[in-house]
Amino acid sequence: MVVIGVAAGTVATLVAVLIPWLPDSASKEMDRIQFVYWFATVISIVVFAIVAAALVYMVWKFRAAPDDDSDGPPIHGHTGLEVVWTAIPAALVTAIAIVSAIALSQNGKAGTNPVRVHVIGQQFAWKFEYPGSGVSSGRLVLPVGRSAELDLVAVDVIHSFWVPDFGQKQDAVPGLHTRLVITPTKLGTFPVICTELCGLGHATMRSEAEIVTQETFDAWLAKEKQGAGGGGGAAVFTAQGCGACHALAAAGTTAQVGPSLDTVAKDAQAAGEPVADFVRESIVDPEKRIAAGYAKGVMPKTFAGLPKDQLDALVQYVVSGKGS
Amino acid sequence: MTNENHHDGPPRVSGWRLLTAAGLLRAAWMTPLFFVVGLFIVAFFRWLAGWDPVYDWTVILAVGALTTAPIGFLTGIGAFDYWLYYISGRPSRPEDHSGHGARRWQDYFRVNTDHKVIGVQYLVTTFFFFIVGGLLAELFRAELARPGLQYVDSQTYNGLVSAHAVLMIFLFVIPAFAGLANFVVPLMLGAPDMAFPRLNALSFWLLPVAGVMFLASFVTPGGAFATGWTGYPTLASGQPLGQTFFNIGVQWAGASSIMTALNFLVTIITMRAPGMTFWRMPLLVWANFTTSLLVVIATPFIAGSQFFVLFDRVLHTHFFSPDEGGYVLGYQHIFWFYSHPAVYIMILPGFGIISEVISTFSRKPVFGYRLMALSLLGILVLGFSVWAHHMFVAGMAPWLRVPMMVSTLLIAVPTGIKVFSWLATMWEGKLRFTTPMLWALGFLSMFVLGGLSGIYLGSVPIDIHASDTYFIVAHIHYVLFSGSVFTIFAGIYFWFPKMTGRMYNERLGKWHFWLTFVSFNITFFPMHVLGLQGMPRRVFDYADRFAGWNMVISIASFALGASTIVFLYNMIVSWARGPVAVGNPWRAMTLEWLVSSPPPIFNFDEIPQVVGGPYEYGVPGARHAVLHGGTTGALQETHT
Repeated sequence: MVVIGVAAGTVATLVAVLIPWLPDSASKEMDRIQFVYWFATVISIVVFAIVAAALVYMVWKFRAAPDDDSDGPPIHGHTGLEVVWTAIPAALVTAIAIVSAIALSQNGKAGTNPVRVHVIGQQFAWKFEYPGSGVSSGRLVLPVGRSAELDLVAVDVIHSFWVPDFGQKQDAVPGLHTRLVITPTKLGTFPVICTELCGLGHATMRSEAEIVTQETFDAWLAKEKQGAGGGGGAAVFTAQGCGACHALAAAGTTAQVGPSLDTVAKDAQAAGEPVADFVRESIVDPEKRIAAGYAKGVMPKTFAGLPKDQLDALVQYVVSGKGS
Repeated sequence: MTNENHHDGPPRVSGWRLLTAAGLLRAAWMTPLFFVVGLFIVAFFRWLAGWDPVYDWTVILAVGALTTAPIGFLTGIGAFDYWLYYISGRPSRPEDHSGHGARRWQDYFRVNTDHKVIGVQYLVTTFFFFIVGGLLAELFRAELARPGLQYVDSQTYNGLVSAHAVLMIFLFVIPAFAGLANFVVPLMLGAPDMAFPRLNALSFWLLPVAGVMFLASFVTPGGAFATGWTGYPTLASGQPLGQTFFNIGVQWAGASSIMTALNFLVTIITMRAPGMTFWRMPLLVWANFTTSLLVVIATPFIAGSQFFVLFDRVLHTHFFSPDEGGYVLGYQHIFWFYSHPAVYIMILPGFGIISEVISTFSRKPVFGYRLMALSLLGILVLGFSVWAHHMFVAGMAPWLRVPMMVSTLLIAVPTGIKVFSWLATMWEGKLRFTTPMLWALGFLSMFVLGGLSGIYLGSVPIDIHASDTYFIVAHIHYVLFSGSVFTIFAGIYFWFPKMTGRMYNERLGKWHFWLTFVSFNITFFPMHVLGLQGMPRRVFDYADRFAGWNMVISIASFALGASTIVFLYNMIVSWARGPVAVGNPWRAMTLEWLVSSPPPIFNFDEIPQVVGGPYEYGVPGARHAVLHGGTTGALQETHT
């Protein structure tokens, strides 16, 4: 039985080690999550090995002969054994609970001087606002090695913010401000995913988190700040998060959730409308025409509420493909 | 001769009388009639109030199609006949048991008060919905085989996912256990029937109502309810009409559950045979006792949660609209206060089945019988203190997380006791690997994996990473498929000879097990990896790097679906032409094996006297029960 147990444990360990179960950690919080994960995994492998060993051994050892109609020994129980398999699992789960509680409390601490970001979820795009600077962006840009404290809210239905490489996840709820701490440890670009079913476009509600050095971050923020509040079409485009779904060469966005905006002139021609009217209509009343190959109901209808000057600037920007 | 008539089923009617006699024909005209009544109720009040339009179809459907028409169906089929005669002061028909028992196949298609008929009605109905729910899953697995949208649009996709879950939970797992227990529990207690046979019949007929409602949502404008089975507002508040079908369908299914659970509680408390103390009850009875307590306490909460959403949608209340002072997370707290205990509603009866099967085919008493019963009660109590572990990332009060984690992880203790006790039951036994035993052992091995992944999800930091991903999908299928569904199969094969009087084909049964076991693991195990790597659930599209595993999963899921064909073939052919079964083919000790297969219409010709525990295998001369007519319940009495 011991041999079977060791074999089962070895197989389980190989499965645990050889398959890349978790993404490489890119945040301090994910480091702690991975520690708890491996702590639970070691315990799980032992439990699995014991059960597998007992089961396989008994199936092999206690198989009744076809003509054997007799009964097994009338063993009704054993108090000692029952105490053991009550107490040991209780101790093991208590250990997991303690380790988890410590990691949880650590993962909620933002430290001194965190970057503060307001995360706004809406069908079906993320918007990231940097309070104090007036900057608003469809992508999350954060400096490496510094905690970020996210304040999340949703405008329509529940969304959930997740970057798998950072481990941390938090729902954005209408009418409620929720909080999440992330301390990125690696430079690079990571996917932002919505993990709470939020309607038609849930599967494609994605964005990116870009982790840069503090200097690059400061420079980016300063540059965005200049554009912000000016009411220029480029600023509206960025602030409203259009680039999360649409490709537009002028804005340097490449997303493919919605139709590309680099071909609006051609599309307007196909629809037989002046290009400016076509673009305006597509923003204000997105259901009216659905580009071939794209689903209805994915584009938010909330943009109809943009102030007229911003809407004009946005249309102008998309049509001309130039920054203003 | 009078005695013959007395037991000869309901009086046969013909001609025009068929239209007014209780039955499917009367239901066929009363259902539309009641729909029209509902329509006019709505139209009348809207006209009275001067609202425009008078004929508002969203309200008319909610009232007419989803509320009054089902009442018309139930009235037509005769579920209320006895009570209506009684209430209206007319002489109720003499209690001649004319609605009781099955003498011909038509008796399965009418209101029948025999718990054995109802048990079979439940099982056939639930397996119909099992197949439908499975086909829905195959459709969205086809869609998921490759990234991007291929076959359906995103609303349909979300509808398929939601309806799959709802059918499997409310129309398969929960009622399939109720069906098995309906057949077995009264027999195990030595009772002639359930405590409230008419209520029992009504509970069954509510079920097809709910099932048809869920399916009908597919043909409403806007498609089926598409918010997942969890139906969270505010998304659910703004969905098309199909969501209303879900809100109200749950009420019918929930009412069915509650009535059955009350019936089980009263039956188990008051109708045990003489000598059957609580500590002599089989563990299946214990399991259904505990489950029924869970159902009675918890189910009103999901009913409430769906009423709130329904009111928000139809009556324009603001329970969950934050701009009007509503509280979005309130829904989740109420919903999970039912829906977490619901996972125990969906597994504890299975625990009971496994105890019966393992003990019988190990020829040994259940190890630690009393602790096994107490651990069920432990799960019952703890089960009510863990609901918010579904909400670790939801934004609820942060202090709730650690206490909920501790109580969640503690559930591993009573569950562990059960697993180790089953293993110890097999120790030094005389193991026989019949089909039910294979399912039991398959359950035991796989459920341990489901339990262990549950530990990961109980730990808050890991859950924050894994929540709402395919890891969750993997976990719930390890506990609900290799947990609940495997135990349902174990139970079906185990009691098949008792229910039908015929033996199933052992060879096909084993093929069914191995095909399911292998394809199940290939389907669901890789989902653990996908989820942790970053694939969220309830998506029709995913990152290209997940394409390989998804293709493997889809192919395996088709094999998993195909394995069900072996099961259906075996059941149908064996039921019709299988070899005749003896009263006690497994040489088991509990009371249902004392009577013929299938049992007589009133179960026991004389009331059995219980004289010992239910699992006294190997104890010389020990019996669970004796019949004074001379036959004994001894296990040594091997064959007829």
